[in-house]
Order: sequence, then C-alpha cells, then structure tokens
Amino acid sequence: MKISLNWIRDYVQLTASVEEISRAITFLGFEVESVHTTGAPKLEHVVVGEILTRAKHPNADKLSVCTVDVGPAGGVKTIVCGAHNCDAGNRVFVALPGAVLPGDFRIKQSKIRGQASEGMMCSPDEIGLGGEHSGLLILANRPELGLPINTVLPPGDTVFDIEITPNRPDCQSHLGIARELAAWFRLPLAYPQEKFRGDVSGAPARTDLLAGVSVESPEDCPLYTAHVISGVKIGPSPAWLQDRLTAVGLRPINNVVDVGNYIMLETGQPLHAFDAKRLAGSRVVVRPAAEGEKITTLDGKERSLSAGMLVIADAAKPVVVAGIMGGVDSGVSADTTDLVLECAVFRRQSVRATSRRLGLASDSSYRYERGVDPHSALEAAWRAIDLILETAGGHVAGPVYRLGGDVPWQREIVVTHDFITDRLGFDIPAATMRAAFESLELTVTREEPTTHPARGPAWTVSVPSWRDDLDRPIDLVEEVLRLHGTEKIPPSLVLSPALVSDDDPVVLFNRRATDYLVGHDFHECVTYTLRSAKEVAAWSAVAAAHNVGLANPFVDDQSHLRPSLLGGLLESLRLNQSRGVVATRLCETGRVFIEENGHALECAAVAFVVAEPVGDRSWKPREGADFFTAKHHVKALARAAGVVLEEHGGASAQAGAGWQAGHCAAYGDIVRGWTAQAGLVNLALLKSLGIEGRVYAGCFAMLPEKLPAAAGARRFAEFSLFPAALRDLALVVDENVPAGDARARLFEVARAAAGDTFAVERVEVFDVYHGAGLPAGKKSLAFGLSFRSASRTLTDDEVNAAFQQAQDEIVRATGWQIRK
Amino acid sequence: MQDQLNAILAKAAAELPAVRARPEFEAAKARYVGPNGEFTSLMKQMGAVPKEQRPVVGRLVNEAKSRLQEHLDAALARIADAELAAQLGPVVDPTLPSPDAGPGTRHPLTLVREEMCRILRKAGFTVADGPEVESEYYCFDALNTPADHPARDEKDTFYFPAGARFGNVAKKTAGERYLLRTHTSSVQIRTMLKGAPPIRIVSPGRVYRRDTSDATHSANFHQLECLCVDRNVTVRDLKALLDYIFASLLGKDTKTRFRPHYFGYTEPSFEVDLAASHLPKVNKPWIEIGGCGMVDPAVFEAVGYDPDVWSGYAFGMGLERLAMLLYGIDDIRYFYQNDVRFLRQFA
Repeated sequence: MKISLNWIRDYVQLTASVEEISRAITFLGFEVESVHTTGAPKLEHVVVGEILTRAKHPNADKLSVCTVDVGPAGGVKTIVCGAHNCDAGNRVFVALPGAVLPGDFRIKQSKIRGQASEGMMCSPDEIGLGGEHSGLLILANRPELGLPINTVLPPGDTVFDIEITPNRPDCQSHLGIARELAAWFRLPLAYPQEKFRGDVSGAPARTDLLAGVSVESPEDCPLYTAHVISGVKIGPSPAWLQDRLTAVGLRPINNVVDVGNYIMLETGQPLHAFDAKRLAGSRVVVRPAAEGEKITTLDGKERSLSAGMLVIADAAKPVVVAGIMGGVDSGVSADTTDLVLECAVFRRQSVRATSRRLGLASDSSYRYERGVDPHSALEAAWRAIDLILETAGGHVAGPVYRLGGDVPWQREIVVTHDFITDRLGFDIPAATMRAAFESLELTVTREEPTTHPARGPAWTVSVPSWRDDLDRPIDLVEEVLRLHGTEKIPPSLVLSPALVSDDDPVVLFNRRATDYLVGHDFHECVTYTLRSAKEVAAWSAVAAAHNVGLANPFVDDQSHLRPSLLGGLLESLRLNQSRGVVATRLCETGRVFIEENGHALECAAVAFVVAEPVGDRSWKPREGADFFTAKHHVKALARAAGVVLEEHGGASAQAGAGWQAGHCAAYGDIVRGWTAQAGLVNLALLKSLGIEGRVYAGCFAMLPEKLPAAAGARRFAEFSLFPAALRDLALVVDENVPAGDARARLFEVARAAAGDTFAVERVEVFDVYHGAGLPAGKKSLAFGLSFRSASRTLTDDEVNAAFQQAQDEIVRATGWQIRK
Repeated sequence: MQDQLNAILAKAAAELPAVRARPEFEAAKARYVGPNGEFTSLMKQMGAVPKEQRPVVGRLVNEAKSRLQEHLDAALARIADAELAAQLGPVVDPTLPSPDAGPGTRHPLTLVREEMCRILRKAGFTVADGPEVESEYYCFDALNTPADHPARDEKDTFYFPAGARFGNVAKKTAGERYLLRTHTSSVQIRTMLKGAPPIRIVSPGRVYRRDTSDATHSANFHQLECLCVDRNVTVRDLKALLDYIFASLLGKDTKTRFRPHYFGYTEPSFEVDLAASHLPKVNKPWIEIGGCGMVDPAVFEAVGYDPDVWSGYAFGMGLERLAMLLYGIDDIRYFYQNDVRFLRQFA
C-alpha cells in the first residue's frame, strides 16, 4: 500500500527524518518496498533569480560567466555556470552561499578556473526534483525575483510503498499506519473529527430517493448502512484532494468518487455512492445473484454472475458486485444530484470467492478480503458525508438505514509481565510493557499484582475492534516486542542439551549414494520433479499414470510427478551436449513416484547415466561402459540401502519402455520395498531426445519406510585358515539358460555333495564360450569351484569324490553336458 | 690340473655373458656343474691326486669353483634384470593428461545443505525427512492455516485430483486432498506427531509453488527449516541460534537482525536479515534470508503438546537463495540445468 507522509502528518506530528520513519515502519513489521519523494524538499538560501548577462569563461570552453539578479535583498551576483541554457533573460533557481542541496552538497563562494562565483544556478536534479541533469530548470512562469524556492514550488511529499501483512487489515489505511507510527515515536494521534454524526432531523426524509433497504444475506453482509445526500453538484475535486490521491497512485475522477476513495485510504473502509435517481424502485437489496444475471462493471466489461455471488441490487437488477465493483448504470455521473452512500461490511470469504471466480479485484475487494472493522464503519460514513458536503455541496436527508452490526465489540486478554518475560527470554520493565500497550490503544483496564510478590503484575488488556488479530496472551508478547524493537534482542549462546537421535534413514541413504557416485567421478545434478506426461510414460512400469498427474499443472510439460530420475538426467545430458560441453557421468538422488496396484508410492531414489564422451577425443581411449558397468554401480547403490541386489533370484530382462530390451535388467519389486534397473537406455528414445552416443544408466528406488536406520550391529564371521581345494567345470547348456541359474543349480548340487563334511565356498563363472566345437544353440559356461574346510586341509580323494558326485548329479538333474 | 681349471674358467668367462635367456642358462650351467659337467668331471679326478698334493690342488679347485659360481651368478642376475625390463613399456611422458573423466562433484545445493546441516548438527539438531506429496492437513491445517488462506489457493499450490491415491503417504482424514508441499514445515508436524519433546530437527527438502519460472522463481525449490521444542524456549534463544548459524557459515563478523512479520504457524514471527561483509554481488547492507518465529500455541495443540509446558521456535529459509548469495549466482535456473561447467565450480 502507498502511504503519503503529508497525509500521515494530518494525524500525527512526525518530526523524524524520512530515514527514521522508514526504519520505524520496517521494525513495526511492515516491509518498505520503496520510498519515493516528490516535489521540492525544504531548502534554505535557494531563491528565484534572472540571468542578466552571459559571457564565455576566459579559461574554459564549456563554462559561462553570468550576472544574475537575485532580487532586492541579494542584488546581482556573478555566477560561473556549465549549463547550455543559461541565457540572459531566463529566470532560474539560484543556490546562494550557505545553501545545502540534496546529497549534502554545500554551496560556497568559490573560484572556478580563476573566476569568482557567488553561488550556483540549479538543474531540477540538483534541487531534488529528479529528472535529467541536462540543463537549468527554467521558470517559465517568471516568479518574482528573490522568492524562496519553497514558496514557488508546491510542497514535497514522501510516499512509502509498504507491504501490509495479512494479519493487519487495520493498516490498509493512513490512519492505521499513523497509529503505528504514533505508538513507535510515542506521539499523540489526532483522529479526524466528524461534523455529521447521524443527525438527519434538520431535513425532511426523502423516501422518494430511497424507499427501502433490505439485506437478504445477513451472513455475507453483517452490516449495511445507507445515507441519502441530496442536492450535490458533481465536479472536479479540490486540488488538495486530487494531490493526495495522485500521490498514492490513484486517478482523480470527480468529487464524490474521490471522497469515497479518500475515505477508504484514510480509514480502510470501502464506500460506494449510487446515483439515487438511477436505483430502480428506489430500493437497495443485498442478495445473492441468480445464475446468469448480468452486470456491466465500471471497467466496462459485462459480467455474468453465478448463483450465490453477493450483489447489491435495486428493484430490478444487480447494481454492484458486493464489495468488489459497481456497475456503470447506477454510478455517479456528471448530472447526478442525489446520492445514496453505501458503507457496508461483507464477509471476507464471500468477497474473496466472488472476486476469484470473476477474476475481478479492486482496492475495495482487497480490503474486504483481509477484513474490515464493522465497528468503525459508521464513523467512516460520517467522515465521507462531511467531505462530500464540503466538496460537492448538498445536505443529508433521512432516512438513515443501518442493518446488522448489532453485536458490540468486546475483547479482553489477561497477560502477566512474567509470561511475556518468559517468552522473550530477557527483561523489559513492567512500566515499559504497559506503555507499549497503551501507545497502541490496547487499554489496560486492570493491573493486579500476581500471587508471587517478586513477580510482575497481571494486566487485563482491552483490545480495540480493529485489532481482531489479537486474541491470546502470546499475541501481546509480539506487540510488546514490536514496540521495544526487535533490534534490541540481546545476544546469547545456543544452549543445547544433547538428544539421542540420528539423521533420517533417507538422509543417510542419499548421503551414502551421493558419496559413492561422486567418488566414482559422477557429477551430481538436481532436476525438476514435475515432468511431461510423455516422459513419464517412458519410465513408468504401468501405462496409465493417473495418480501422479496434477489436477492443476501450471505448464503442460510439467504435469506429472517423475517416476524415475532418468528423464531429468537425460535432459541435462542433452543440454550439455547441445552446448558442446563434454558430460559423461551424471547422477541425482531424490524422490520418485512409482505407480503400483492402483496407487502411487513415494520413494527415495538414486540414478546415474554413463554416456559416451561425444566430441571428446583422447590421446588414449579407454574402454567404454557396458551393461556390467551399470550393474556394478546399481549393486553398490542397493548396498547403500542395505539391499543385496540378486539375493532373492536374478533379474528380469524387461525393465520398461525407457530401456533397450535385451540390454537391460530389472531387479526387485517396489511392493516388497525396492526396485532397481540397469542397462542401456533405449536407442530410439535417445535418438528422439537428440542425445548422441549410447547411454548406460542405472537406478534404485526404495520405500523410505523400508530404508534401514543407522548401519546396525555388524558381527565378525570366522573364516578358515586352511587351504582351499579348487576344481573347474564347464557345462554345455542351451543358449537361453541364464548363467545365474546354472550357477545356482551347480552351487546347490555341490553343496549337497559336500554335505556336512566341508564347505563349498564359491562357485563363479569364469568363461562363457559360444561357437566351434559346440552344437548349435548351445553355449559353454565354465565355473570355478572352491571347497574348503574350517578345521583341516582337505584330501584330494574326498574333494574328487564330492566333485564327481556333483557332476553326476547336475547332469542327471538338468540334462546339461559336461564339456571335457 | 691347473691348466684344465683355467681352461674351463676361460671358457665360462667367454660363454656365459652371451647367455640371454633362462633355458639357455640352465643348459650352460649343466655343461659346467651338472652331473656330467666339465667341472664336475674334473672334481671326480680329485681322487687320483697324490695325497701330499691334495691341499694345494684342493685350494685351486675351490678357488676355481667360486670363480665359476661368480660367472654363473652374474649371468643369472643379468637375465633376471632383462626379464623385469621386458615387463615395462616405453617410459611415460608425465605431462600427458589422464584420459579418465573426473573428478566427480557435489551439486552446489547439496554443498550448501550439508554445510547447514553440519552447523546445525553441532548445535544438537538431527536431520529429518518427510514426503513431498502431502495432505492438506499436514501442509496447512496443522500449521494453523485457515481454510480460506490464499496460500491454499489452486492458483498457488499444486493439487492432485480427488481420486489420486498415494500408498505410503498417510492422510489425516479421508476427505482431504493430496498436494505438493509448499514448505518443509509439514515435516515438523510429522516429527512432532511421531515423537515426543524435546525435539531439535533440521528438515531440508524440496518444495513446490505454482509460479512462473524466471531468474528468481522455480516451480520447485529447496528449503531448510529448523524446529526446536523444549521447556522455556525463548525469542532470545531463537536469535542466538540464527546468530550462531550465520556466524558459522559466513564468519564471526556476520550480523543478523529480526524484523517483525506474520506467519500463521509462529507467534511472534520475524523475517531474518543478515549483514556479511564479503558476499559477492551484494550491494545493500541487509539481505533478507529467511523467516522464523516462536511456534504458535495452535500448532502445539494440533499435535497434542501442551503449550503451557512446551515452547519452541522454527526457522526456515530457501537453499537456492542461500547458495545464490554465497556463490554470487544470479539465476536460479542454473541449479536445474546442470551444465557441467556450472557443476564443476563449487565442489
């Protein structure tokens, strides 16, 4: 809200500087967004002068030496001037020695390039009027010589643009801010005095102008008042009123409309004036609109109303969208002579809902939405009537309507000095606290000692009607602190008894995963959570992603929650490639949203991509990444979550649309807690994204609630110090038999063959062979087996016997052949 | 005898230095000291030497034997050296660059977040986490946000359709809608509901506002909030924490100040400004950095804590904003583009 300092000074005699006032507003709790000064500042020794002669400076090309008549008191001065327009005959402002111009620029007698100069002729900028510094301010209206600047120029003003927090609707007005500043500077506040105070007995009632007012929706309109003013003459407002409105950014319209705006800006109470003759049936009805009713609002737009929107209507039609904007048909115009002045209170929620649905807001609706004090409304109406009579003439005629507003305001809060001190953590004397209340018109109606004699008093504080935000003792703590000054909170040390608690498992997991990947030369990225529907389809396991789509996306390509981090990482990869920046390893940790069984699950996740170094030539090329690179990292990341990747069975080769079938694998199941994928990103997808080269990727996601807390207890497992016995075995199997399955079967039979006598320590594939020497459709898998006893060195005989038994059994059980 | 020994030694001295490989060496060695070697057979003749000459001859033989062994050892050492040399490639040019990518880097938001968490952990706070999809209750109601508060507007907050289901995000009531959290304060509510005071947590995380993306706004961004609940927690304690945080982060000459403000979930509430001498691209004395206040009694009531017993404070700030201040970054979008030239600058 824009606040004029001149206006504020009507109510409180502030003598502080603009800087001090700005600081006061700030520490009262209102952010000062800008401070704008208009008009001339108060200046001494700056007077009107006329240039008599102009001559070139003997020692400087760009300077002139002028003689200037500054009036009878000053006489004629010689002044050196650099402006292009210091021509003889011009009247200008002259700053004489002793003047202090804005920016602490002190004018003295001086010599400029050897030429004496007895002052300075001023540009607009130099006297604080802003604008460009390109020449002297020429006074075209030729004011009298020697007149001081402040009698020539209109007085200046300072306008603060202030952000009013939503809890302080009372400060959406000059009076409200004046009240705060009066409290801060401990100055008295002078409220405007209404002349008219409701007495209409002096004139006959004009029921012809207003026959009746009814309120059909008292819920949405708790107070409605109407006054009739007849015999007004519409015309421009007086200059002072226009200046006030212009200063705070409003355009003057006519005397009646301007008074309405003025009173709203003074008191915070919106008002509306009807042309009484244009109210059909001379009636005012406050009612909900019927569906489809039309009104053309003052902004010239026809609006179709919905059922339930509150309107002010006459006998025929809506004439105002209540609290928001009037209609063109009933408003005040040049030939209006009789007014109905509405001063009402509408329910915040009602105004807000209508304003939103119509997409129509105004200074009035802004105030109603934040809350208007019903207990000050009538004073605002009286004050408006005073100003209308003063600026437009006419007189108030009965009848006066006042509907609602019957509940008197009363609120008291009991608070103790002790309570406030305990919350603040430092001491403010009781008298100072009490003075703070009183300065804000929080009247202390009672002060009593508390039970404990050493403690401070208890106060019963009466809250004024405009401070609906104050309801509890804690609210008064803030008032005391505001007026004490939050800058004066004394410094202290952080006192912190240790608590038994640890970081959240998700935090621990993210940290471990990031540590791992950064340690493996990945660049950690942060990408957007909201993705396009198309991208989500590529990375979702289920086709329809209906749970993760937003109801109200802001832009189309950010409509869904990400099911995977890979979409974002590929986008970052593409961006780097398009900028010619080599990026090969990117990673991210963050939340993903996985659809499963008709609902979405929010998971902690980590993902990475490994891309070919497109455009980067190396004197020594390294072997590129492959599926097993991705698998290796995914396995490590799963381990960071306490998960063993292939513990319960192997991988599924189907990982989803984003992956290249046959070159990827999926692990786990989110229903059981986690899921992982690794492999080559679908080549067609990469092509459509505009990414060059192959990209291997991996991701791991886990339900946060399944992540392990701290590392947990680890226990040492004894291992054998006796030598192992090693045997190799090659199995000829069908091409489509996964090595993992073959290994598992072999492990199983070997373990059975060894029995309880000794252990099968390892069974690992060390060679995979296709081709010559094997039947078509077969491959050979070579395994190394390691046997070991915990208690002795094994003999060849017993190992051979077990190994033979295992070979016999695997052939018998599977039909696979032993390759000799 | 002596002539024979000298002949063998001369032959060995001539022949052995030319031996280059281990099998050749073994064959040569056998020719001298093998079972049928020349030296061995000469030794066998010792028996025929007259007894009185034996000491002299014996000395000659022993000398010759050790000379021969020296020749053999030297040859073997030469071969072993050659074998090691064969394992090496050409000498390296150490000025060539490593062809391996790296090193990896942490994102600047991670760096700032971890630094803040480290500072707060020293003050006894642990890091809490919670869902980004929230229900209206945890994001608004429990935080004393009235039903018609503008922050809840569909214009400003992302909502999910009424039928959307999130299996592992619990709603308070069946009728409320899911949304994307607008602040991490929902983590405070969940933490307070799950545990019991005293509590000291820091909750960094991703939050969402339905807003135009530009140099200073982003559809999602990151916040970091602290919550302390204990007996007798005061405004002065809150100020002490803020002073501690920013002195730790930016140096001991850093100052903070509070300006009264309004938030629904704290009373009194403040905006926090800081003044630090060495921040890049900052040309005003005070910079707004976050909001804070004393936990509103209504919030304690919502989570079942007795506001007459427990008091507390909360503080929140934007991590992007902090990172931008610290590093002198002037466009928030850099954080989400992940240009590697950007990412490399901070780690």
